[in-house]
Amino acid sequence: MSTTAPLEVMEPDTGTDSETDAPWVVLVWNDPINLMSYVTFVLQKLFSYSKAEADKLMMQVHTEGKAAVSHGTRSEAERDVFRLHEHGLWATMQQD
Amino acid sequence: MGLLDGVFDPPFRKRRNGRYTVNLSEGERQLIEDLALDLRELLTTDSPMLQRLFPPPYGENEERNQGYSALAGSELVERKFAALDVVTGTISAEDLSEEEVEAWMRSINDIRLVLGTVLGISEDQGFEPSDEATQALHDNYEYLGMLLERIIRALSN
Repeated sequence: MSTTAPLEVMEPDTGTDSETDAPWVVLVWNDPINLMSYVTFVLQKLFSYSKAEADKLMMQVHTEGKAAVSHGTRSEAERDVFRLHEHGLWATMQQD
Repeated sequence: MGLLDGVFDPPFRKRRNGRYTVNLSEGERQLIEDLALDLRELLTTDSPMLQRLFPPPYGENEERNQGYSALAGSELVERKFAALDVVTGTISAEDLSEEEVEAWMRSINDIRLVLGTVLGISEDQGFEPSDEATQALHDNYEYLGMLLERIIRALSN
């Protein structure tokens, strides 16, 4: 598990938001607390995945440690991260 | 425990009109209310027990995490307060809307995340309570997990 402890050295922000048009990807990370059924349910609810699709993503999180659950612009990704955090999932975003 | 316990009388049951019947004992409701009020209090602090509720969205990019937190952090706390307020405001209810059940679900999950953090729950080791207080926390953690499963089952119907 990662921690939220601040880094000693800040990474420089290497560019502005318009540095590249590459889409952002939202990742959900494995954590030992959230129930598998809960992760599946939240992915279905937030992204309208079918039960089978959501189960597959949940299992990917569980076995591989993470899964990409949505893609979009930076602001779309931030919105999705927010909704995932509202539901207690461990979500981050990064540029493809 | 019988095999059919809870099958005919589950804690949360969806009715034909789309609303939910809640069947919990006084003791269960008291426990949930106490835990919800505890979390509400905790959310006014910057306790490390809350770390799991506010993951850094940009991973190790502290600058962007701080920027995001400045914009969205307080709104996220407000959403969590709002869900907890639904729980404590309907703690005695036997009839809930779907929206209210989902607020219960999110709050119970948040409480579970804090309890799991305090207990140091991890993937690869079984839980060994070190004292009675820890055992009590773990009992609550397990109870909320069971309740969450039942809520998800009801909402999925």
